[in-house]
Amino acid sequence: MSETQLHSPDPTQAPIEGGKYVYCIIRSDRQREFGGIGIGGSNRVYTVHHNDLAAVVSDTPIVIYDPTRENVLAHEFVNETVMKEHTVIPMSFGTVFRSEEDVTELLRSTYQAFSEVLDKMQDKIEFGLKVLWDRDKVVSSLEQDNEEIRRLKDEITRHTSSSTYFARMQLGRLVESSLEETSQRYVADIHEFLKSVAVASRSNKPIGDRMILNAAFLVDRAQEGPFDDRVKEISRKYEDILTFKYSGPWPPYNFVNIKLKLERAD
Amino acid sequence: MGILKHLLFWPVTGPIAGVEWSLSKVAQVVDEELTDDTPIKQELMELQMQLELGDIDDDEYVRREAVLMARLRDVRAWRERLGKGVSGGPVKVSSSDDAEA
Repeated sequence: MSETQLHSPDPTQAPIEGGKYVYCIIRSDRQREFGGIGIGGSNRVYTVHHNDLAAVVSDTPIVIYDPTRENVLAHEFVNETVMKEHTVIPMSFGTVFRSEEDVTELLRSTYQAFSEVLDKMQDKIEFGLKVLWDRDKVVSSLEQDNEEIRRLKDEITRHTSSSTYFARMQLGRLVESSLEETSQRYVADIHEFLKSVAVASRSNKPIGDRMILNAAFLVDRAQEGPFDDRVKEISRKYEDILTFKYSGPWPPYNFVNIKLKLERAD
Repeated sequence: MGILKHLLFWPVTGPIAGVEWSLSKVAQVVDEELTDDTPIKQELMELQMQLELGDIDDDEYVRREAVLMARLRDVRAWRERLGKGVSGGPVKVSSSDDAEA
């Protein structure tokens, strides 16, 4: 089921490779070439235009692209390349149009919204910051620092009778809430520390059970250096307890939300 | 007649009514499970995170990714069969006003 079938029209008119994979929208009134870096086998990446807007595309058969690491990296690599010289509005992974005309129609019909967002995103880039902790390590440091937790632990180790059942429950609850509170304190501290060098931030749902922060930051290109320095500084501050996964620059995936009116083209 | 019918047939009608109800319930749950790709995408993100953190190696990643991709394709196939929307594949600008991306 990885391919949608093309019911074959006149083969001289519609080559099967007529599809266009769209990576992003940029502002450019002249034809651009980005090399053979396209998804699905190093296809040439180039632009399709409408007025001063351009869609960055490569030729593709009409297929559904699986979000494999290889495909996703290819999509991202094109956006990274284009981003070096342009402000981009990234398209969702896997967006395929049947023809160049359909891409032009997208630019034409969404011209206003694209233009406004491009103005707003002018010279802005995104960084990703994921913060993970070692839960056991934090628990043992809590046991050292929190007097109430220490007292309950003592009580449990001293008695073996059933009365410790409640002490155990109490301890479990106390550890849980202390963990929650600690994680919130770290996250707030990190946000506070990066606020002055970022334009905006967004927190996404953490992935897996070790992650306490999964955030995206919108940063002015001119602030890239200072933002970088601040991230390094805060990760040094917490280097014993937290692991920082810092990535970017990305196109502003988390800060652009244009609902495109698209439908399936069968 | 109503009550008599019920008395006479209850060993049959009773359980069957129950079976029908639970079957439709099961069908609904199965339907939702077959056509929801959110948990698969969640697992894919977790898998990527594990690779990034060095918890798993490339080979393991590729192996488990293939399983997830197969499941995604199954969901897509079920959605198509049941007439639900499918993401991915060719799109065009909508001619009507109520369609969404």
